[in-house]
Amino acid sequence: MKRSDRITAVVIVVAVTLVVVFWIVIHRTRGTVAVVRVYGKVVATVDLTFHEPQTLRITGTLGPLVIVADGKGSIRVTESTCPDQICVHTVPARSPGDQIICVPNHMVITVEGKATGIDALTQ
Amino acid sequence: MRKIIAPVVVLIVIGAGLAALFVSHTSPEPITSTYFLMDTVLTIKTTGGDAATINEHLYALASNVDSMTSYYKSGSETVRVNAAAGKGPVPVSPEYAALLKAAVAVEAIDHGRTFDIAISPVSSLWGFTTKDYRVPTAKKISDTLAYSHSDQLVLSDTTVQLRDSRARIDLGGIAKGYSLDVMEEYLRTVEPQPLQVNINFGGNLLLYSGGRKHDWKIGIQDPRGQGIIGTVRSGDAFVATSGDYERYFERDGKRYCHIIDPSTGYPGTLNQSVTVITDIEPMHGAIGDALGKVFFCSTAETQRSLFPAAQSQGTVGIVIVDAAGAQSTLGPITFVPTAAQ
Repeated sequence: MKRSDRITAVVIVVAVTLVVVFWIVIHRTRGTVAVVRVYGKVVATVDLTFHEPQTLRITGTLGPLVIVADGKGSIRVTESTCPDQICVHTVPARSPGDQIICVPNHMVITVEGKATGIDALTQ
Repeated sequence: MRKIIAPVVVLIVIGAGLAALFVSHTSPEPITSTYFLMDTVLTIKTTGGDAATINEHLYALASNVDSMTSYYKSGSETVRVNAAAGKGPVPVSPEYAALLKAAVAVEAIDHGRTFDIAISPVSSLWGFTTKDYRVPTAKKISDTLAYSHSDQLVLSDTTVQLRDSRARIDLGGIAKGYSLDVMEEYLRTVEPQPLQVNINFGGNLLLYSGGRKHDWKIGIQDPRGQGIIGTVRSGDAFVATSGDYERYFERDGKRYCHIIDPSTGYPGTLNQSVTVITDIEPMHGAIGDALGKVFFCSTAETQRSLFPAAQSQGTVGIVIVDAAGAQSTLGPITFVPTAAQ
């Protein structure tokens, strides 16, 4: 092997490693997480891939809410101090893009994760 | 010397690749803002331009529409018109008069049988205005229906009058869509232009990319659960969904949704959800919102017969989930069900 060939080989290896690292950093996808916001401000982030049930007690603009992640990938509101209880009756959220909203408490739970592949959701 | 060329070329190629990768990922990050208005959530996602300022301005515009159209807020034009019912004409702003005209134009395509802004006394009977839900007696409904139609409305360019003192109007069925109209009008003039603005107002969408003709992929909410039933692709557009799953109450295992069918006075039961896509023209946000109610309260047969009239008012396509959960479309759109993706 000539010296120049060795240099070429080293350069290629280093460059390919750099590209791969760069690519991973850019495209790093988090696991599926639920982000809880009250009036747009993040108050909690829950990892839905975590295999233990988790209970969250947060305060909305109206009062306290209890949020439960079941440890099997879904999250729901179990208690809320709101008149309609729409958030409590909403189907548990599990996939990126799913939302649970409590308007009186100005609370939104959004499941985030790998790209959902859609630009917008009409409800 | 020639021996150096190979590694140098490789380096240059890799370097250029890295640079391209970097540039492709440094396009402006979107700024997403969440607001609460009209008893729902307003989410604005703006990419490019002075995004934070644009979001705040858009919220202020929607907030103005709420102050103008609200059924509840004292001082709104709706409250003033309703308070003067049976008394005489009320002076209103040209914008308010134009909005009522657009609403009445949509009602006209089906003679008010499927959408009527004057149905609100019947909605109140069911408790939808106060959230004190109940199932009224059939007699009460038919008595109230007698004065709950838009023939109670006398419109001019500057005044609105309700003939019967018990008549009321409620613009809840078009106010979100109309807010999107007002926001779109502002977006067209703002400088520097944002690259993309994606507004979700309680499930009603404005998808704006100016002259860039972005190809939007729109997910349609599953009316019976989380997730989507499928997607539709579209250029810039207004999208309005009317569903029985957002606001409803249950009595004895029966679901009563907030969209009252003006021909019966009972909550609509013919469909689970209707999504109307309208093109970007003045008032098409409000019109699409209203057309959603028209098609929600229609049978499949009526939907087909009304579709040409909806097209003449700016409708591009409609996605329908009927009461049995069957999906269908009207117009030249391609709906891709989730199962096929």
